[in-house]
Amino acid sequence: MTPWKTARQQWLQRRFPPSREITLGLRQVFVIPTATSAALLVAVLILFLMAVNFQSALIYGLSFWLLALLVVAIFFTYRNLSGLTLTALRSSPCFAGEKAVFELRVEDIAGRSKQAIFIGWSDEDLVEIDLPADTSTLIKLSAPTRQRGYFHPGRLQIVSRYPLGLIVAFSYAQLDMKSIVYPVARLQPVNEQATLVHSSSEGGAEVPRGTTDFDGVRNYQAGDSPRHIHWKNYARTGNITTKSFVDFSVHERWLDWDTLSFAGIENKLSHLAARVLQCHQEQQEYGLKLPGTTLQPDQGEAHMHRCLTTLALYAPETSEHA
Amino acid sequence: MPDPGYMRRSPVTYTGMLWLLAAQLVVMLPLAFYLPVWLIPVLLFSAGWRLRVMQGHMEQPGTIGILIIGSLGIIALTVSGIPRVSLDMMASLLMLGFAYKSLEVIQRRDAMVVILTGYLLVGVLFLYSQSILAALYGVFSMTVLTASMIALQSSKSTVMLVNLRLAGLMLLLCLPLMITFFVFTPRFSPLWTFTLPSSQAKTGMTDRLTPGDIARLSQSDEPAFRVNFAGERPAQKALYWRGLVLNHFDGKTWTQFADDIDPESVKTVLKTNEYNIKNRLVKKGSGLRYSVIYEKTAQPWLFALSPVVDIQGDAAFGRDFRIMARKNVMEPLQLTLLSYPLALRDVILPPWRQQLALQLPSQGNPRSRQLAQELLAKSPTKSHFIQTVMNRYRTQDFYYTLRPPVLQTTDTIDEFLFSSRRGFCAHYAGSFVFLMRAAGIPARIVAGYQGGEWNEKGNYLTVHQYDAHAWTEVWLENQGWVRFDPTLMVAPQRIEQNLQTAVSEEGSFLEGQLLTFAKYNWLNSIRKRLDSGQYAWRKFVLGYNGETQSQLMQRLFGKLSLLKTALIIASLFFVISLLWLVSLGLARRHPQEAPEHQLYRRFCTLLEKQGIHRAPSQTPHNFAQLAASRLPALASEIQTFTNNYIQLCYSPPEDSDSHATLQRLKTRFNSLSKAIKTLRKTTGT
Repeated sequence: MTPWKTARQQWLQRRFPPSREITLGLRQVFVIPTATSAALLVAVLILFLMAVNFQSALIYGLSFWLLALLVVAIFFTYRNLSGLTLTALRSSPCFAGEKAVFELRVEDIAGRSKQAIFIGWSDEDLVEIDLPADTSTLIKLSAPTRQRGYFHPGRLQIVSRYPLGLIVAFSYAQLDMKSIVYPVARLQPVNEQATLVHSSSEGGAEVPRGTTDFDGVRNYQAGDSPRHIHWKNYARTGNITTKSFVDFSVHERWLDWDTLSFAGIENKLSHLAARVLQCHQEQQEYGLKLPGTTLQPDQGEAHMHRCLTTLALYAPETSEHA
Repeated sequence: MPDPGYMRRSPVTYTGMLWLLAAQLVVMLPLAFYLPVWLIPVLLFSAGWRLRVMQGHMEQPGTIGILIIGSLGIIALTVSGIPRVSLDMMASLLMLGFAYKSLEVIQRRDAMVVILTGYLLVGVLFLYSQSILAALYGVFSMTVLTASMIALQSSKSTVMLVNLRLAGLMLLLCLPLMITFFVFTPRFSPLWTFTLPSSQAKTGMTDRLTPGDIARLSQSDEPAFRVNFAGERPAQKALYWRGLVLNHFDGKTWTQFADDIDPESVKTVLKTNEYNIKNRLVKKGSGLRYSVIYEKTAQPWLFALSPVVDIQGDAAFGRDFRIMARKNVMEPLQLTLLSYPLALRDVILPPWRQQLALQLPSQGNPRSRQLAQELLAKSPTKSHFIQTVMNRYRTQDFYYTLRPPVLQTTDTIDEFLFSSRRGFCAHYAGSFVFLMRAAGIPARIVAGYQGGEWNEKGNYLTVHQYDAHAWTEVWLENQGWVRFDPTLMVAPQRIEQNLQTAVSEEGSFLEGQLLTFAKYNWLNSIRKRLDSGQYAWRKFVLGYNGETQSQLMQRLFGKLSLLKTALIIASLFFVISLLWLVSLGLARRHPQEAPEHQLYRRFCTLLEKQGIHRAPSQTPHNFAQLAASRLPALASEIQTFTNNYIQLCYSPPEDSDSHATLQRLKTRFNSLSKAIKTLRKTTGT
């Protein structure tokens, strides 16, 4: 990076400090002419020459009017951005390499209507919004990610050329929001058994109200499945009884860092992430063991996110230390 | 800098295309009056094609297709009869490109090119017409063009009116700046000369007088020129606006010279300077200063009260006391003239000039020649003879009519004087000059306008085409050229009042025109108002050139240097910008904030400068405690200010007291900020 670029970055950093809510004003909005306005100036020049040569007052007027239009367009384009308020709402996690999605609320502080404003991190992911008067709108912006961990999106670009396209008004917003980026889910070709620590059913604990092994017969309770009703007994005695079953937690798994035989921290994390997804899909209970961190076996959406977050934020120094 | 490529890549929306087509039509329509009309179908064809492509019904034309269509258009232009190198051709080519461009408009960039070309074409329209109507239409075109520019930028299809209203608002806000530029920007003289639009029909008085001509003019209520007198307005019957001098008669038609030469050569033959004119004049009476704005005629002839001794503006003197424009009048021309209507002209006339004024065809009209000789024999003096001829028109039954019978024979003068006896100024002037010349007295016909309509509101005189008139000049020894108007003998109302009165019984005034203001009295006041608007337009807008500009600047600011002009423009620009900021609602920062909140916000920023930040979750009370602990010296002041603020917010006093409480809050704030300043000074040193 050239010194000039670094200086510019620092200046932008100071000018646009991170914040949850940003309102664009005189200090935030930049206004520069576009190539179209250069073309307009050429037209103005042609008209002016026409006016000079034909001594035509009307053409003088026309050329001056166009020139004034260019000037007034600066104000109108600035107005289209000024007062625009962006509020960071929430972000949704993603896997590395995918796009993180951020949700923002956009409104005008004075309730003016706004048109054709483009917001986004890069030229490719611009979202165009129109804001009728006295309304706010929610937008979802996506940004590409590369690494696991916390992802801070860069400065947002906010661009508008409305109404005439002669002037471009733009601004930056450093929204104080971040998203979790999970490690890429990628299985390594390893012995499946190695990851299952306690694979024998002998050591498993009984889980009541299961579906697998017959446990005994008890009285019917409201809510028991009709399939488990002891119909033979009912035919014999007339009392409704229910067969009860137990599960052994044979399928309870530990996803353990230390049992992984292959090298590479990121590979291990990716493998574990893939296993988490697998277990979640199979609706099994699973626990996670990382150097320095242990998550007790559980299941469900929240547990999966907890595990993936732990994987995402895993810092290798501590592991080496351990 | 974010200058994303989306603009260049983004295609024009369907709505945008419709807007573009509408703007193109609006721009091209009035030009169809002056340029080939088939350009409009060309536009409709190519825009229609594009719309079909956008609807998915048709294919985009290929490069070869575009080439074929394009060359067809250019061939059509070359065979259309427009001169190769002329403004018409340039304008037509511009129009053709403008129409074809919609065949390949896909990106916003192309559309922008179309719109900018549209603005240029509005300028081209002004080359052809400078009337108020053209200007208003130009404003309308600009609004539509600007609205379609907006439509191109907006992604969704907004209601038509919204775009138009925004465009109108923008253009309206531009006006003050535009007027500033218009008034103050220095005017330059032309950099190079151009051939002006040539396809324009010549209007007004021409350089030939066949009896039909003036009758044609009398059917037109177009204004010919407008006059503003510096002093007293002369009497109506003295208003002889002298234009052309017709010396030569071929038995049927009166022309300027024997061999029918074109106006350009006449100009070079006749052109002379001010001294020549002054030498041939004997000044009598008082001078009359007036300014004239001539309408465009595509001819060089100008009309003035003769003789003119001083011209301010772009015009030249002619040897026969006329004035002429240096080039054909293609746009309204303004002159300020000084005339001495009573001066004697050419008291001494060289023999060859006398010969010129005695020319007659060698044969024809025998009865008229005989009559002239008989009357001359009976008259003791020349002036007696002239008076006899004049009286003859009154005493014999001549009639003034705009519907004269068609003269059947070749001896037109004989037929008019002895049998038909019905006609208008051209007939009377022609026969009178014939009789004079037949009697050996130098005489000539003068063509111009007589009278005019006084506009009370605007304090100026409008001379219309129907005021066209022909009269005569007879050369008398010691008196020079003397004006005689035989029409006065037959129809004195024509001279003393106007044509309408003279032919009121006949009802032939403007009879060719079904609907005209001048014909109906009840519409006359409207017409006069419109005309004074037009006069103001000519005088103040179209007539605003380098000369009038420097006069105005002199009057307003005295001597103006370039620097001073720039300063004036800059300060006006500043004022206009403020005006824009206010009118666009950009000047207000926090419109809804109550004064106590504003004060509290200032309080927070004040403390922020001391390094004490208020988290959004902190209540004023908590924040005050934090601030007090950090700035113990100001603890009590911070506490009282905050308490006051809390009180004002949560347990507001009665209306009458609230103002006083607010005032108290203000004084607290001021003392606090003072204390902080002193604190900063002591810690700083």
